[in-house]
Amino acid sequence: MNVFALDWYLIALIMFIGFYCMLASRSIVRQLVGLEIVSKAAMLALISAGALTNNLVYAQAILITMIVIEVVVVATGLALLVKNFRLHGAADIWNLDSLKG
Amino acid sequence: MIYHTLLFVLTAVFALWAVMARKLLTSAIMLALVSITVSLIFFDFGAPWAGVFELSVCAGLITVLFIGAVSLIRDHDEKRPENRSRFHALPLAAAIFAIAAWFYLPAFFEELAGWARVGNGGGTIGLALWEMRRPDLLGQVLMLAAGVFMIKSIFPRRTQK
Repeated sequence: MNVFALDWYLIALIMFIGFYCMLASRSIVRQLVGLEIVSKAAMLALISAGALTNNLVYAQAILITMIVIEVVVVATGLALLVKNFRLHGAADIWNLDSLKG
Repeated sequence: MIYHTLLFVLTAVFALWAVMARKLLTSAIMLALVSITVSLIFFDFGAPWAGVFELSVCAGLITVLFIGAVSLIRDHDEKRPENRSRFHALPLAAAIFAIAAWFYLPAFFEELAGWARVGNGGGTIGLALWEMRRPDLLGQVLMLAAGVFMIKSIFPRRTQK
C-alpha cells in the first residue's frame, strides 16, 4: 500500500474519534476536545498532501493560519464555558441556548 | 516508515484516550500528547515551522487554557459526572469503522494520490509567509483581535448602579 494512503486511512480514523466525541458528549469541554482532535486530523491531512505534492512550504503557511484560527476558536469556546458555568453552574452544552438574545 | 506510521498510530491511541478518559484533566493532558505526536509527525515530514507552532501553541497554550477551564468546573464534574455509557462504545465503534474503512478507503486514497500534481517546492517559508501572503497576515492579526474582542464582550466589566 502507498504510504500516503496508509497515513490518510489513519487520519480518517482519528477524525472519526473526534466526531464521535462531539456527537456523544454534552459537556462543552469534551465538545472542544473533539473539535481539537478533528482539527489535528485536518492538519495532518494538509501537511501530508503538501508533502505528496512537494508543496510543504505552502502547506506550512496555511497550517500556521489554521493554528491561529484554532486558538481563537478554543479560547472563545472556553470563554463561553466559563460564562455558562457562572450563569447556570453547569458545563452542559444544552444550557447554551439560554445565551440567545 | 515504521517510525512514521508508529507516530500516526500513537496519535490515534492518544486521541482515543483523550475521549475515553473519565477525568477532564486526563483528557486535557492526553490532548497535549496528541499535539506533541502531531508536531513530531510534522518534523518527520520535513515541516519544522509547522512543528514548532504546533508544539508551542497547541501543546502549550491551548493545554494551559484547557487546564484552567477544567480546574474551574472540576468539582462540579466530579459531583455530577456525565453518562459514560456512550463513550464505552467508542472502541467498538472505532474498530468497526477501521475494519469497514480498510476495504474502501486505502484504494480510494491511492487513486487520490495518483491525481497529485507535483509542485516546484515553493521557495522558503519566509517567502511564502512574508512576501506572498503579506495581506493575509493582516487578516490573521485581525482574526486574533476579533477573538480578543469576543472574549471581552462575553465578560463585560460590571458597572455599579
